[in-house]
Amino acid sequence: MNLESTRRSAQQEYILQGSIVNDSCEILLHRLRGLCDNGDAAPETFKDHEYVYTIRQPNGQPLTLRVRQSLEKKDYPWHLRYLGQPEIGDKNRATLVRSCIDVACSSNICTFLSEMGFKLDYEYISKGFIFKKGRMKVTVSKIFRLLPPGNVNTDEHVSQSYLVEVSVVAPTGQDALAEEIRSFAEQLKPLVQLEKIDPRRLQ
Amino acid sequence: MGVVSVHQYPIPEGKSGQQVIDHLVKCLETLGATKTGTFCVDCETYYSGPNINPSRVLNIIHNSEHPASCFALLDTGTCLVCDTNFDQLMLTMSGLYHSKKSTKMESKGTRFQLGDFIVKVGSVSIGPSFRGILIEVEYGPCVIPNYCWDLMKEFMGGFMSSPRDPHQYLQGKMNDIFTPIDTIQQYNDHFNSIRKSTAAATSTASTPTHQSSSGRSTPSAGIAQSIPTKQ
Repeated sequence: MNLESTRRSAQQEYILQGSIVNDSCEILLHRLRGLCDNGDAAPETFKDHEYVYTIRQPNGQPLTLRVRQSLEKKDYPWHLRYLGQPEIGDKNRATLVRSCIDVACSSNICTFLSEMGFKLDYEYISKGFIFKKGRMKVTVSKIFRLLPPGNVNTDEHVSQSYLVEVSVVAPTGQDALAEEIRSFAEQLKPLVQLEKIDPRRLQ
Repeated sequence: MGVVSVHQYPIPEGKSGQQVIDHLVKCLETLGATKTGTFCVDCETYYSGPNINPSRVLNIIHNSEHPASCFALLDTGTCLVCDTNFDQLMLTMSGLYHSKKSTKMESKGTRFQLGDFIVKVGSVSIGPSFRGILIEVEYGPCVIPNYCWDLMKEFMGGFMSSPRDPHQYLQGKMNDIFTPIDTIQQYNDHFNSIRKSTAAATSTASTPTHQSSSGRSTPSAGIAQSIPTKQ
């Protein structure tokens, strides 16, 4: 067992994103049930509380870490996630690629990050369905504001649509996966148009 | 896991660390303990950069007994338990928290089993240099320190002179359920005191006028035992 190499292995996330209006979501869920694994079972649901922490680095760039807690399965470990700068690439690259570090951790992570110097930037609830197809993860979720602050049973949704994401986390250099995701995304057309979305261009 | 108590074993004058370890191993083998492999507890220290106020010290500790976990201890006392991907995360924070390679400490050595007890004899080093001996004793069948401390004390008396009291950290948690964090906290305290005594010894050597700083005694100096009488 070489722990050191396990620790150092970098992971990358290949991702496509899109959205679908509430009224058509049911049809998309049916389609996904047909396309993904375990189609005979009811779709797996999730309800997560996400906290986004930032800190300014000496070079002026902010460093962002995301903390997720499952509100449905309270005994699950908390989840800390670092996402690197997304690379759009040229037309030949099928998906967005970003480096990604996932860490399962204990429930005192929020205190820990605050004491390290991080500041809570914003938080939200993400609620929806998760499907798996091989190594691919497909989520159809709705984002909710916490209004009033701290109220996790909020029904204050951000928009009238669902966020759809298809992603795979894999070791660096497995670019064939991007093609796999693209061909899967093709099968969801015209219900949902999954694209490489650069969050920097949305700001 | 059961209850774990970690103690610093003083090295008598005129003896080398290796001689003391060999002696301890011989004692344990005479008692009937069997070798069950090796172990390692390592600690890397990170210091916060100038833009983090108040400044912080973060110790990242791994224990071979929990190979998939990483323990992150802040100087505020908060201990985060997470998986080993956290090491990778620390690399992304290199601008905020930086480590000094020369401060990496580890305690490694042989793991013994004797009935319900597990004993680990570790030689502590900072980089390549030897700094002391830490002995970890675990009693498996119990999780409340208060219920088994006397038994552990008696057991330790078989190969080292038993400590009067549990480690200071454990004293406040004698009636709580013991967790792996409690083992790590004890190692962290020992590593800190070894680091401090090393720093004090170095500063005394370089500035002989500050003799008061060298008078620091190790927390478990009371468990010293002369080697020849044990034979």
